[in-house]
Amino acid sequence: MRLRARGIVPGRASGTAIASSAVFSFVGGVDPANGSILDEATGIAGERLEGRIFAFPTGKGSTVGSYVLYGLGKRGYGPAAIVNRRADAVVAVGATLAGIPMVDRVDVGGLLTGDRMVVDADRGSVELPDVKAKRVVTAILRNQGRILIVRRSEKVGTFRGRWSAISGHIEGRENPRHRAIAEVREETGLRGIVLRSGGDPVFARDGATMYVVHPFLFDVPSRRVRLDWENVEHRWIRPEELHRFDTVPRLTDVVAAVLGPPA
Amino acid sequence: MRLTRADRHLLDEGTDVQRKAMGILLTVGRLVEAARLVPITSAHVSGASYKMIGDPGLEFLEDFAQTARVSVPTTVNPLGTDLAQWQELGVPPTFAEKQGRIARAYEAMGVRPTFSCTPYLLGVRPGFGEHIAWAESSAVCFANSVLGARTNREGGPAALAAAIVGATPEYGLHTDRGREPTVVVKVRTKPHGMDYSLIGLVAGERVGDGLPFFRGFRGTEEDLKWLGAALASSGACGMFHLEGVTPDARGARVKGLKSITITRDDLTTAKRAHSDGTEADLIGLGSPQLSAAELQRIARLVDRTPPRIPIWVFTSRIVRDANPDAVGIIERHGGRVLADTCLEVTLLEHRFGTVATPSGKGAYYLPSLCKQKVIFDDVEALLERYA
Repeated sequence: MRLRARGIVPGRASGTAIASSAVFSFVGGVDPANGSILDEATGIAGERLEGRIFAFPTGKGSTVGSYVLYGLGKRGYGPAAIVNRRADAVVAVGATLAGIPMVDRVDVGGLLTGDRMVVDADRGSVELPDVKAKRVVTAILRNQGRILIVRRSEKVGTFRGRWSAISGHIEGRENPRHRAIAEVREETGLRGIVLRSGGDPVFARDGATMYVVHPFLFDVPSRRVRLDWENVEHRWIRPEELHRFDTVPRLTDVVAAVLGPPA
Repeated sequence: MRLTRADRHLLDEGTDVQRKAMGILLTVGRLVEAARLVPITSAHVSGASYKMIGDPGLEFLEDFAQTARVSVPTTVNPLGTDLAQWQELGVPPTFAEKQGRIARAYEAMGVRPTFSCTPYLLGVRPGFGEHIAWAESSAVCFANSVLGARTNREGGPAALAAAIVGATPEYGLHTDRGREPTVVVKVRTKPHGMDYSLIGLVAGERVGDGLPFFRGFRGTEEDLKWLGAALASSGACGMFHLEGVTPDARGARVKGLKSITITRDDLTTAKRAHSDGTEADLIGLGSPQLSAAELQRIARLVDRTPPRIPIWVFTSRIVRDANPDAVGIIERHGGRVLADTCLEVTLLEHRFGTVATPSGKGAYYLPSLCKQKVIFDDVEALLERYA
């Protein structure tokens, strides 16, 4: 599959991903002598940057990070490319000094260490040749501060028994908004629903499949839900209770995409 | 970003360093979605203290200095020690040697070796509406607020790139819109002395990355230097307005803005919050470096009430050399007047554990950058206490 991205530092590179969900500082986060990751919070400590596509949400820390990245690049220990959710000036300037292609506006939560990737900052794209995209909608239903979660039945194709929000596949060129409205009606029987907003797509990964989740927020007038065959159980919960449930991947991020980060 | 023919020429036909500098400006421009580059009349770069930038910074600067030359008048921030007195200060020789190499790298690039955080006290006084690219947060706040010049808070390498190209991405505080206030700050007490630092610290904490419009007090240029330095430390503020005083305040739109109030109690609380030491081993004055008038005043105070603990006074080389009498008085009482460096970027942690200072910026950064506990009080009170 191919993802759209924003080119920050020009160039093109291919390689294997080294992915972290932690905000990263090149000061203290990496050994400047050989490019091996030191920061344990990354979940990839001990891995070497050399020749890899380094994906992390965003940079933090002092300007010295730019110089560290420059030194790594000069000695050939730098990454082949950098992919961020949101580029920051320290990493971007360092990548420029080191001549390392860089893109941002990619939801790095869908990238896994080991993914083969082609980063093209000139065209603004990231390609994952071994990953197939499946587009889905997820509808967050809200009633007086609580949101609806449902437990998936044993008859559905994926994530059986896990907690999810109302969701469904997007067919062909179908408008995601229309699909979301249809799914809410089919799976809950609710009427009088009001579409409040949509959020940026969230990438949820399941092996070689990338679920491109289009999130929508609905206000609903009632909590009286009539489930169809796809779900066996439902709860109205406060958004901050979500972590207590065994959910489908990245449901918390999907909720945050329409409601904002949890308080 | 729209590039002029001259920009394009530099990008395609320039030297390696010019192309790299242009690349940095374009990267920053893309990040902030700037429409174009705007020509600048001066640059001020940060990243000169070896303590702060270490070996990675030294390596970059020495590589860059082989061919890089600045194209506009450019000054540079303080070093990590006074290179004329480092032995007496107990600074390790390797530190001093590497610090000297950083200084020489900047000089080789054509940067004026001011090693000061107060270029505006050394003859670099950009006029109202002039575009500049400065990297020192306190100087940025002063230039925007007090002089009405226009600069964002540049990163060190970005300011150096701007100095080489002679332009910087136009966004934020370069634009009329980016200079509009976002919050009104009413000060309900008459400030004097370190109160300006305290107002800055309290306002910075409350407004974060907003742009405050102060009302309810007045102050001299020197007062506003302390306010701006503290504001830019506790907040991400590159500018403030002060009603009836700063040049951009007239015509600023404040109608409908959120308003907050700072009282005497707030200042007292902030002073207490930044004082965690019990006994100081050093009185540190500076951050930002002292002006000539401030240095002379300190000399008079020290002569009247000499302290029994060491006192280090930070100023620029230019001010130090022009005021031998004041320097003589302070040294006669066992103090030191250090040039080319400043309180929180200098090496303190090898000798001291607690520093007494009236500087808001100093009180804010000494714990993290110098591993010091702080006693935060007016200079008269400190001299009295350690007489």
